[in-house]
Amino acid sequence: MPVVTQSEGMSRRELLSRSGVVATAVATVPLIGADALAEEAPGEVGVRMTVNGTVTPLTVDPRETLLDVLRERLRLTGTKKGCDRGQCGACTVHVDGERVVSCLTLVATLGGARVTTIEGLADGDRLHPLQQAFIDHDGFQCGFCTPGQIMSAAAVIEDGRARTDDQIREQMSGNICRCSAYPGIVAAVQQARKEMR
Amino acid sequence: MSVSPIGRETARVDGPLKVTGRAPYAADYHPDGLVYGHLILATVGRGTVREMDVSLAEAAPGVLAVYTPFRSIRIINDFAGRGAENYTVLQDTTVRFRGQIIGLVVADTLERARDAAALVTAEYTSTTPRTSLADSGPGTSPGAEQVLAPGVGSIDEALASAPVTITTTVSQHAQHHVAMEPHATTAVWQDDQLTLYCGSQGPQRHASAIAASLGVEPAKVRVIARYTGGGFGSRVPAWNEAKLCAAAARALGRPLKVVLTREQLFTTVGHRSAVRQTVRLGAESDGRLIALSHESDAEMPAVAGWPLMPAEGTSAVLYRTPNIRIDQRLVTLDTPSTWAMRGPGEAPGAFAVETAFDELATRTGIDPVELRLRNYAVREPLGGRRFSSKYLDQCYRVGAMRFGWDRRPRRPRSRTDGDWLIGMGMATAIYQGGRGSSSARVQFRDDGRVTVASGTSDIGTGAWTMLAVAGADALGLPVAAMVPELGDSALPPGGSAAVGSGATASTVPAVQAACRSAVTALIRAAVENPRSPFHGLDPADVRYRQGRVSSGRRSMGFRDLLRAMGVPDVQAVENTEGIDRDGPYAFQSFGAHFCEVRVHRLTGDIRVSRFTSVFDVGTVINARTARSQLIGGIIWGIGGALLESDPIEPDGRYAAANMADYLVPVNADVPAIDVHWLDHPDPQVSEVGARGLGELGNVGSAAAVGNAVFNATGIRVRDLPITLDKLL
Repeated sequence: MPVVTQSEGMSRRELLSRSGVVATAVATVPLIGADALAEEAPGEVGVRMTVNGTVTPLTVDPRETLLDVLRERLRLTGTKKGCDRGQCGACTVHVDGERVVSCLTLVATLGGARVTTIEGLADGDRLHPLQQAFIDHDGFQCGFCTPGQIMSAAAVIEDGRARTDDQIREQMSGNICRCSAYPGIVAAVQQARKEMR
Repeated sequence: MSVSPIGRETARVDGPLKVTGRAPYAADYHPDGLVYGHLILATVGRGTVREMDVSLAEAAPGVLAVYTPFRSIRIINDFAGRGAENYTVLQDTTVRFRGQIIGLVVADTLERARDAAALVTAEYTSTTPRTSLADSGPGTSPGAEQVLAPGVGSIDEALASAPVTITTTVSQHAQHHVAMEPHATTAVWQDDQLTLYCGSQGPQRHASAIAASLGVEPAKVRVIARYTGGGFGSRVPAWNEAKLCAAAARALGRPLKVVLTREQLFTTVGHRSAVRQTVRLGAESDGRLIALSHESDAEMPAVAGWPLMPAEGTSAVLYRTPNIRIDQRLVTLDTPSTWAMRGPGEAPGAFAVETAFDELATRTGIDPVELRLRNYAVREPLGGRRFSSKYLDQCYRVGAMRFGWDRRPRRPRSRTDGDWLIGMGMATAIYQGGRGSSSARVQFRDDGRVTVASGTSDIGTGAWTMLAVAGADALGLPVAAMVPELGDSALPPGGSAAVGSGATASTVPAVQAACRSAVTALIRAAVENPRSPFHGLDPADVRYRQGRVSSGRRSMGFRDLLRAMGVPDVQAVENTEGIDRDGPYAFQSFGAHFCEVRVHRLTGDIRVSRFTSVFDVGTVINARTARSQLIGGIIWGIGGALLESDPIEPDGRYAAANMADYLVPVNADVPAIDVHWLDHPDPQVSEVGARGLGELGNVGSAAAVGNAVFNATGIRVRDLPITLDKLL
């Protein structure tokens, strides 16, 4: 009988040390406010980003994704991990006004960046028009993909790229909803789009 | 008189929390001292783990523990024929399928646990797994069931006597639930009491399974699953990762969180079995059935799982026929555990029989709707019982009208729009409409609100809102005055799990009963409490109506009454029984799907362009959430027809075990969907008359798509999914 040896995953540390691209990117990112990062230990990276309007200095393991930092360190758990591979869109947030999948965004690259999450979308207790529209049109069921859907929709509306239903469907297709609330999502984006003009 | 919210559009009461990201799911909890676990899965299809080298992982920064079959942690087998898997995780070195859990690494951060897990190596002795239905079948039959007309010797004889016969063999690979929330468990021990945060379709069942696997009293385990990011069947059992997480947290004396990676989910939390089915129809030339045979071969993993039985919920209950036989065989394979997935047997079963019916319609030249009406059943063809309530004929007629079925091209491949071929297809939906036992607690509170609690779960179904609507209706109060509670095993025992499309049909009667008892308790308190203005009155002279307690000219709202009495709340708990599944009636929900597709003449690209479905589900409790569930089910049918497939390789590896390769519908795959339901409360199922609808939309919808593709192209694809290469 054959003997098989398992050594499937390369660790991300190995990957970082072997991959010139990633390692260089980490090393050359301009760290705005790096002077405030005296605590930086060997192998760690100091980053100061603005999260939902609050300046947030952090010392991070270079492997840490924006998603994991938001969830595990800043306790902003509204942003969800659906796949960790950029395949589902549940982790969508805004970086400098653009939608990104936070699972494929390393925090070490975000010095000086403005990050907005679902927690930063509402105006105090007043729901953002998209949040209200998702409720009005039942644009979700289990609610797990919803923060990502809403953040994606906000960027799509802001871009002005989605006017017709078909354009909205296309632009929102990076955000999977397994409950399949898609028709409600399209209706919600249409309603909010008119209110946000 | 307040208007009852039953059947109206009520926005989800959990909506504001979900759209702001404040609804806590299992992985969102951060107890003090939390540590993180990462699983290691086997990379051979069948064999033995000879040794594992954990030295690098143990030496890695922040690592607290590495558990393997060689350095195990005690977990008790709680299978007893009812769990999903018959072995116990990490208790032996046997590898039963590729992707089985063989290790857990715990570290102080997520990144460190994940990296350390990648440093563990394993040596195996392996053999070739059994992975192919065709190579390992035909399976073992638990017993064919049949009814033959007097004088008919066998189903084959009946089929041979028919002027028209159709034989349709359809097949599909494994499918996956792909709930958006990866299975996650956060386990917190305090003294000897465990609180387990996890997604669950039935928190009370979950708690008892976890307790059994840990060897502790059920009362020592509390499962909290208030927000669950989708279930679709995959969160019915407590899977190994949850047991392992709880056991490791106990051993380490630290709160532990284990979140499965998306790839790990494809082999650790169940899948819909691959299945091959053959339907044979024998009919008169006018389309009336003489005989129907439905056979299937599906997986029964060596580790156990859900037996996929596609005929019993479809062919056995769909059409009138004097001769019928179903034989649902199971093939032993070395695959991961199978489990029920939305419309577990019914969705594939309906694809088989509704495709065969379309072929019969084509052969006889009879319109597909007319063919189904000619074979309309008022009794179960196999079981013989009458249906409790059935308006499927209206579904066909109303659906045909709303859709414009009369404009369907009669000849396949006869209508074009530029380079696009246009086709229309239809199919029947059917799903059991049962009602199980349930329990509820209703509590009048001195803040003027009413708690409506039941140990059920909301996996996106709308159960939070269902509780509020049912309580508001029963008490004559606004929905906003209700405080629903669910998703907690500590709620009164006997709550309905969110399974079998039965949570609403089961729970609403329990809420109604508890509301009646709470009113009785409120009145009793009012006449017995010396500080009550109703003290000393005969309870028969005291009335409750719309939140007010009255007697003669005295009247007081329950809030003021409770405050006057100095009582914070008055409550009642009620348990209700389900319907007798072996009773005189067959309970089924019904529907008719109509679909239009466009297929590109040159590329084979398939677009679903229109969908209309009409359902007969008894009473609808909340129109808004009901519509969403029905639409969701239909979209699952579109996915099943066109996208979803996970072939297994000979070494036991799933070929599409990630969300880039296992395709589920995205927004651009879905057209506007027209969903309508009839308003016929089912008088046999319960006072409120609700039969359930969570899975119904997913039954028959794939066949409607396939039948439309045939109408567009003249090509009948029997091996799902229908991909463009099969149309060129």
